[in-house]
Amino acid sequence: MLLKLNNIFKWVTTGGQRIFLLKDINLEVQEGEFISVMGPSGSGKSTLLNVIGMLDTFDEGEYNFLDESVHTLKEKHRSNLYKEYIGFVFQSYHLLDELTVQENLEMPLLYKKYKGSERKAMVADMLDRFNIVGKKDLFPAQLSGGQQQLVGVARALIGKPKLILADEPTGNLNSQQSEEIMQLFQKLNKEDGVTIIQVTHSEMNAAYGSRIINLLDGRKI
Amino acid sequence: MFKNYLKIAWRNLWKNKGYTLINVGGLALGMAVTLIIGLWVQDELAHNGYFKDKHKIAQVFQSQTFNGKTGTGPAIPLPLEPALREGFGDNFKYLVMSSWTNNHYLKYGETSISTPGNYMQRNAPELFGLEIIKGEKDGLREVNAIMLSEATAQALFGSEDPIGKVVRVSNQHDLQVTSVYKNIPFNTSFNDTEYIIPWDFYVNSNEWIKNSLDNWGNNSFQLFVQLADNLTMAEVSARIKDVKKNASSDTEEFEPTLFLLSMEDWHLRSNFVDGKQKGGRITYVWLFAIIGAFVLLLACINFMNLSTARSEKRAKEVGIRKSIGSQKGQLIFQFLSESFLVVLFAYVVAVVLVLLSLNGFNDLARKEILFPWKQTGFWAVSLVFVIFTALLAGSYPALYLSSFRPVDVLKGTFKSGKYAGLPRKILVVLQFTVSVAFIIGTVIVMQQINHAKNRPVGYDKEGLIQVPTFSQDFNGKADMMRTEFINSGAVMEMSTSSSPTTEIWSNRSGFTWEGKPEGFQEDLAWTEVSPEYAKSLNLKIVEGRDFSREFASDSLAVLINETAKAYLGLTDPVGKYLKDEDEEDPNPPLKIIGVVADMVAQSPYEPVKQGVYVYDRFNNSSYYNLRLNPNKSTSANLAVVERVFKEHFPDIPFEYIFVDERYGAKFASEERIGRLSAIFTALAILISCLGLFGLTSFVAEQRTKEIGVRKVLGATVFNVWNMLSKDFLKLVVISCFIAVPIAYFIMNGWLQEYPYRVILKWWIFALAMLGAMAVTVLTVSFQAIKAAKANPVKSLRTE
Repeated sequence: MLLKLNNIFKWVTTGGQRIFLLKDINLEVQEGEFISVMGPSGSGKSTLLNVIGMLDTFDEGEYNFLDESVHTLKEKHRSNLYKEYIGFVFQSYHLLDELTVQENLEMPLLYKKYKGSERKAMVADMLDRFNIVGKKDLFPAQLSGGQQQLVGVARALIGKPKLILADEPTGNLNSQQSEEIMQLFQKLNKEDGVTIIQVTHSEMNAAYGSRIINLLDGRKI
Repeated sequence: MFKNYLKIAWRNLWKNKGYTLINVGGLALGMAVTLIIGLWVQDELAHNGYFKDKHKIAQVFQSQTFNGKTGTGPAIPLPLEPALREGFGDNFKYLVMSSWTNNHYLKYGETSISTPGNYMQRNAPELFGLEIIKGEKDGLREVNAIMLSEATAQALFGSEDPIGKVVRVSNQHDLQVTSVYKNIPFNTSFNDTEYIIPWDFYVNSNEWIKNSLDNWGNNSFQLFVQLADNLTMAEVSARIKDVKKNASSDTEEFEPTLFLLSMEDWHLRSNFVDGKQKGGRITYVWLFAIIGAFVLLLACINFMNLSTARSEKRAKEVGIRKSIGSQKGQLIFQFLSESFLVVLFAYVVAVVLVLLSLNGFNDLARKEILFPWKQTGFWAVSLVFVIFTALLAGSYPALYLSSFRPVDVLKGTFKSGKYAGLPRKILVVLQFTVSVAFIIGTVIVMQQINHAKNRPVGYDKEGLIQVPTFSQDFNGKADMMRTEFINSGAVMEMSTSSSPTTEIWSNRSGFTWEGKPEGFQEDLAWTEVSPEYAKSLNLKIVEGRDFSREFASDSLAVLINETAKAYLGLTDPVGKYLKDEDEEDPNPPLKIIGVVADMVAQSPYEPVKQGVYVYDRFNNSSYYNLRLNPNKSTSANLAVVERVFKEHFPDIPFEYIFVDERYGAKFASEERIGRLSAIFTALAILISCLGLFGLTSFVAEQRTKEIGVRKVLGATVFNVWNMLSKDFLKLVVISCFIAVPIAYFIMNGWLQEYPYRVILKWWIFALAMLGAMAVTVLTVSFQAIKAAKANPVKSLRTE
């Protein structure tokens, strides 16, 4: 078992009223799963993803990730944990505009204390694997959306995470680019055994996954 | 990792060139000001640093009390030296009597120069540790010796070896050059001592000095000492305190107190109020240090404001880095290293700015500061300075930026404006408070200078020159020269005087007069003049009459000024006598024949001193005062005067002083401060405006969408401009109301030092406030109008 959410609640209080963003979420994810989270806008998909990614906190419940109880961890431990095991892919790519493709890929490794030569090898490997060696010295603005997202996925993978969290990874892409990214995810999941949780609006994308979780108003249905 | 930070920082700077220019430019300006002020402060503190024993060297000072007012100064009487040498010799390693530094004529062969120097006792070279380059160390052993500075030796002898040669001094005495000493640097109290002549020679060749050998009342000399080892100034001061009081009953009533003033205090702490050390030049050192600190603070505030205003742009990066696993500490470190890079960059630019402006600054501040390339201390301090500035400017942005939560910033809904608004507003207020206070301060300094400059001086100083007549060659020739000068047509009138019109060199007491109050200790400025003094100066006779050559009795007559009339308590002074207090051997009484208008001879900021002008019976003339012919050009007049002068005194260099220039020099120190503070104020405002400019452009950018919506709904360019400008104007108005009372308090205190001072008017403050607001509106408008004129369709589409 990779992670387990027990009775997770998250809310905000406005005008003395609690508005629930997540309500009594229970979820168990095994290693090697490919899960799609679906639901209408505002149903809590992204919030759930952020909670799983430890970028956001929750108000009640328990969260265990690889036998660590996340809800009791301190900020610093938590960030060490997700740095080690989780890679993020964003809808709007979120590459650093001031860095080249190569430097963007290298960045996560900088925070993990790899040696210079190791970093170089890992980046070269990744460039090779994603077929973007020719673009390594370009800046994100010089790439198409699909290519940027490719770099985004590569960056998420370079630290060899157990889990990839993707928040509408194809939201900004056209259908052909979307398909490429989805096929890539499927390949990663099948061949490398990487666990993937993606948020998506598209039934077609969701079909690539092994399981679908539907959310409505913060509840699992 | 560090390389990665620098790379990001560098590319960020490069991408936002405008922002970088404002940021680096503002910081560089601020740092340049701080550096220059730092160099200036260092130079001030290092004054007299040339003298290795400066902590052991002191000058004997004396406090005396007249009518309850205590005055303190370095002038001491002659008999003090033997008294200290005999009674307290153990306390001193060296005791050296010295004259004041005065100009004399030096002549060798055909070369004749007029240059300042001192008479000093034999131990002077050892006491001051002069570096002897040529000749003997003990250069003042023989009475008819002279020691020359390198520069003087060069001027007189060129490449010849000066040792053993004979120099003619004041066209009168032949002295043999015994040694040449290394030039004493500009940054010392003896920078104008170009030669030293033995003290005994001074005594032997002046009758009045011989007469003062046992006169405790004639305070006309200086005494320098070097302490014996293991003694402190305070210890020795305590021992010699009452030497004069005990030795002379005549001066006892003035309660003379002696003490030592350490050489370390001469330059910066030599001001005395009621006999106590107070203020002095150190006040200005502090003032400028504070100005420097504030200017740096202003520049740092720019950096903080621009960095936090731009946070929206950096927020995404923070979010990504955090989601990838960066710790907050790592981000803080990243942003700090970024600000370090900017500051380092700014420092390099600042050094270039300093190098470019150092010459101009030296002229302005009357300094000879060199850029300290070779001093490792300077570079070490610079490194600390850079790190300090980077921390000062970078800490707040680093803490602020690194605290973003990735969930917030990565959603793309993050707007930084609201979060950082208040601190940024406070910083802008702080900036403009300082700027407005600077403006007010500068305006008041300028006003005070102008106020004193426009003060009526009581005589006509334009078209008046003074020719020094210190040599005995001039004795008895004044009347003849007057006729010659007037006949030449270049001069309308000539008189002589014992001191220049812009100074008072002598004060007298010991008189009685009708109605003198019991126990009154008078103190009168004393000038000996020829009969045409008032005429040549265009000094108005208010009561009675001027001197006249037709009355032989006028040789015992005096003119008094209006202040003296009041001071002496005489309602009808004409015809009254000033009698000598000494009943055994009295000088003849002096008859007051007239009252002249007050003339400003000393500080233009002080009331005119009570003075008497005495008919010069004894050839005590120090200057010819020449009223030039107003119908001819000054240069033509001067050429004629020089020709006439040279006919009669071929061996004496023709020197002259324009009285108005000499008078103008009295404002030099205030004008320097005025000009420096004007420059620093201008820079402070420039820096603040740079920041404001940058800030407006970011706010305009941030509100592009809002502006677009407003315009679509019908807002005019004026509406939008008004909306953007008002926010900043409000802040500046708040600054004004904080700055005004602070500036009033400080400047009012400064003005208290000047008895003749400008009255602070409310409109000065109003003007400064208006000025600040006008500058704000101008700065803001540029960006505001640009934003307001943008096509809303375009700005709305980009969202």
